[in-house]
Amino acid sequence: MSTDSPTTDFPAADAAALPPLDTAPATLVALARDAGYRGAPGPLAETLLVARPLLAAAGLAVPDGPLTVASGPLEVRFAHVDTGSRVGPRGAAGTDDALRVSGTLRRVPWARSADAAAVLTEGPHGGPVLLVLEAAEWRQTPGANLAGEPRDALVLLDVAVPAERVRRVPAGLVREAAWRSGLARAALIAGAARRCVELTVAHTASRRQFGRPLSGFQAVKQEEAKLVEEAALVAASVEAAASALATPESAEFPAWIAAAQATASVAEITRIAHQLHGAIGFTELSPLHLATTRMWSWRDEDGGERSWQQRIGRYVLDGDGDRLWPSVTGG
Amino acid sequence: MSFSALDFRAVHLPPSVGQLRQEVRAFLAAERAAGTVLGRPDSWLTGWDPEFSRRLAQRGWVGMTLPRAYGGGGRSTLERHVVLEELLAAGAPVSAHWVADRQAGPTILRHGTEAQRNRFLPRIAAGTCFFSIGMSEKESGSDLASVRTRAERTADGWRLTGTKMWTGGAHVNDHAIVLARTEDAADRHAGLSQFLVDLRDPRVHVEPIRLLSGEHTFNSCRLDGVELADDALLGRPGEGWQQVTGELALERGGPERFLSTLPLLTALVAEVRRAGGGGPEQEARVGRLTARLASLRQLSLGVAAASAAGRPADVQAALVKDLGTRFEGDLVNEVREILPTAARSDATPGSFPELLATAILHAPGYTLRGGTNEILRGIITRGLELSR
Ligand SMILES: Cc1cc2nc3c(=O)[nH]c(=O)nc-3n(C[C@H](O)[C@H](O)[C@H](O)COP(=O)(O)OP(=O)(O)OC[C@H]3O[C@@H](n4cnc5c(N)ncnc54)[C@H](O)[C@@H]3O)c2cc1C
Repeated sequence: MSTDSPTTDFPAADAAALPPLDTAPATLVALARDAGYRGAPGPLAETLLVARPLLAAAGLAVPDGPLTVASGPLEVRFAHVDTGSRVGPRGAAGTDDALRVSGTLRRVPWARSADAAAVLTEGPHGGPVLLVLEAAEWRQTPGANLAGEPRDALVLLDVAVPAERVRRVPAGLVREAAWRSGLARAALIAGAARRCVELTVAHTASRRQFGRPLSGFQAVKQEEAKLVEEAALVAASVEAAASALATPESAEFPAWIAAAQATASVAEITRIAHQLHGAIGFTELSPLHLATTRMWSWRDEDGGERSWQQRIGRYVLDGDGDRLWPSVTGG
Repeated sequence: MSFSALDFRAVHLPPSVGQLRQEVRAFLAAERAAGTVLGRPDSWLTGWDPEFSRRLAQRGWVGMTLPRAYGGGGRSTLERHVVLEELLAAGAPVSAHWVADRQAGPTILRHGTEAQRNRFLPRIAAGTCFFSIGMSEKESGSDLASVRTRAERTADGWRLTGTKMWTGGAHVNDHAIVLARTEDAADRHAGLSQFLVDLRDPRVHVEPIRLLSGEHTFNSCRLDGVELADDALLGRPGEGWQQVTGELALERGGPERFLSTLPLLTALVAEVRRAGGGGPEQEARVGRLTARLASLRQLSLGVAAASAAGRPADVQAALVKDLGTRFEGDLVNEVREILPTAARSDATPGSFPELLATAILHAPGYTLRGGTNEILRGIITRGLELSR
């Protein structure tokens, strides 16, 4: 797949295929894993695991179709300035929360296939706001990640966003957006990791050298086992985070763990899968690259393993008393 | 293609387990205050304290899964798992009863006669009967089926001859389960049998083999024509291989296969905090280890849940053990990077440099004991062949 025709291999995600809003969270994670396994086009993980739950948590109406998510600084003003307000300079208060928004949001996943975007930014009142932008309201400049998946820039030129599509949100929701994105990406990585394992096991069983299948060689077996193990570790961390979603107040730490583990395991999983594939895996002749190039992008798209590890490490090293083991056992 | 290893299902611990965990933590806090739980790495290998084992047993935390009829706790595999992980995380001295609880008890329950169960299980659960593993020999390590120890039929039992090696705790424990050849067979996995051997028997000659740290846990165990009664045979003659394979599955799947060095990380966290907290580099490294630890723990819980449900878990157990024991060593190297410290065995016992020294000096063992990682990877890829 080449980067200038990123979506041509696949049909775009369609709204009819999206599960209903009341689907169990663990099922949503399983769907995201499956999307990662297939390299499915469209912002499925973003819609199910990030945009929909955030909008619902903020009390915003959830649009029907595929959704993307974005965050970053924008120029945001109240659309209806309260001229009678004595709070601060003119423009510091509005008669309602309707906004006018300008600026650019970069590297937004699958923006071109999304009906709407959930956008987190700083509001004119000085705190975070979550707002819904509709596709017709932005202009997009195409971009792509290492796998050719769309990562478009959204250009906003004085877009009027009605108050019913804007909510002031607590800092906790900004954190939730971060860990949800990390979990979504971890689920995608877990799926792609499974694909790496399956392709590698099939390849070493069918490819013969020295008169026998590669899978018969000790050196190959040793590496193949490590590949399975690392993928299993990712699967376990993602499943644990998925099951923790049932109790949202204790879902954050397991999501950090899944994000940190999945992103950190990408290097080892892709290294072994490519090594055992030989030259063909380095080319478009093998489907392996569909999984590995995605994994190389996904691991970085929410800050990279280091940012997740630091978050966890800071939590463990902060506070008094031993937090390490209790955080791992969840209490 | 089906890969059981990747079809991981999250394990839901029942609420009663949360209660149990708090009870164990309270018990450990009291023991810590009394100076008996020292947060030492690899304490399940070298932390030998029969009094501690007895106190645990009084709480019902030894032989937890053995039936009540034999003095056991009748508790679930997951409940036992939680108790074990708390003991290991605290670096508690559990080595006296470890083998009896982990493998001898369940093996006797599974393969023993009613008389053998009644004789051993209540004492195992009371923390008063400790076991060693009599598998390895000088010429039989990974290739366990090649053992040369022989048991010959006598008029009223068996005569056992051979030398077992690396027998942990044989100098302090009561019994060993010994794997011996009882018949020469074309199939090398046939003709093996297991025996319950009294380590105090005058014809059992236990000689210390010191570890590179100078510690004494290993022994050679010369069985110099040990006369055994008929009822020393465990299970059926000739089925020792199947039995020992089951015993190894018990030996391989537990949380001691990734938690051996956790007390060193706990000590490091305390050390960094005492110094006023860590910088971004230290945070990232601690975070990386924590993420791996938490993920491994999920996999390990998965093994416990699978065996509780009666599903085969040998591939999963091999997977956790390879990943987990590599993590144990990796943790030690990382800790040295996070807080560069010269390891010293002669520093104050329990100080950071001394704990580090213990973890380093024990490191070669992590990936060898209970079957080497290379052998475990063979089990994992055989699992793949079966699923192809
Ligand atoms: C701390 C500790 C405690 C122990 N406690 C006990 C105990 O209480 N009772 C007991 O019976 N035993 C005990 N053992 C012994 C343990 O089971 C053996 O060390 C282990 O099975 C390996 O055997 P070996 O040491 O002879 O190594 P070997 O089998 O000689 O192996 C040496 C190296 O060769 C590799 N190797 C061997 N065969 C293969 C192969 N087919 N493919 C690839 N690589 C291979 C191994 O992986 C290893 O790296 C203990 C060992 C340790 C380290």
